[in-house]
Amino acid sequence: MSPPQTATLRPYLNAVKATLQAALCLENFSSQVVERHNKPEVEVRSSKELLLQPVVISRNDKEKVLIEGSINSVRVSIAVKQADEIEKILCHKFMRFMMMRAENFFILRRKPVEGYDINVQTQAGGLRHPLHGGDRQGDQRDETVR
Amino acid sequence: MSKNTVSDRFRKVDVDEYDENKFVDEDDGGENQAGPDDAEVDALLRQGNMNAALQAVLKNPPINTKNQSAKERAELLVVKVLSSFKSSDIEKAVGSLDQAAVDLLMKYIYRGFESPNDNSSAVLLQWHEKALAVGGVGSIVRVLTARKTI
Repeated sequence: MSPPQTATLRPYLNAVKATLQAALCLENFSSQVVERHNKPEVEVRSSKELLLQPVVISRNDKEKVLIEGSINSVRVSIAVKQADEIEKILCHKFMRFMMMRAENFFILRRKPVEGYDINVQTQAGGLRHPLHGGDRQGDQRDETVR
Repeated sequence: MSKNTVSDRFRKVDVDEYDENKFVDEDDGGENQAGPDDAEVDALLRQGNMNAALQAVLKNPPINTKNQSAKERAELLVVKVLSSFKSSDIEKAVGSLDQAAVDLLMKYIYRGFESPNDNSSAVLLQWHEKALAVGGVGSIVRVLTARKTI
């Protein structure tokens, strides 16, 4: 006999929160491949030593969260529960609506990772300047001034 | 073009492969790690000795082997043991483990999340909560930064 669905919601959210707390330990890290460039390593995946183990937290086989971390960026992929066809369509349309406006959201990815519905991705600079959203070359200047 | 520039094979050489500072994962043997012992764990489960079953299943983690089936077998066994605990016993069981065992338990929990079936995720979420209380965020960080996965 499986426990009612609502009983797993709190532990699921807490588990995701704790894992995010562990994964959102980012620092500014310029690209090792191209000089004067600063790329989100979780997207580029150029060097193995900069990437963390990807980790999944699942509530059941339909709802899960994939957290991939790296030294300067984190990508969170969320699979939303879609019980029937109509929910699938609604979810797809809603996610598409938001992802098309990803520029305004700053932390949204334009395309979801395979198998998931929506992605949240952030970089080290973005966490420090939530209003400006995203890493700026000015960050390196800020560090020396301080 | 003059004769001494005929061969252009040097252009196809991948220079990054020969970089001395390139990071390579070290590969220690570890072929002897076959994972926890099925028979022993099953026997302890049947006896009802839950804590001992937990200790037994956390022995010999298949960390260094490349053998996928050994890893899957170990993971299934661990999830089976974790599912057979009563909710009220979980906290005590986690309390009886040492630091390294809690880290290993966390690794297995996350591994178990990747293949959810029936009720396993709900059970694993309970275990995750209790293990987090004991191990702290540090145990999760050690799962994320481990170079060799179970």
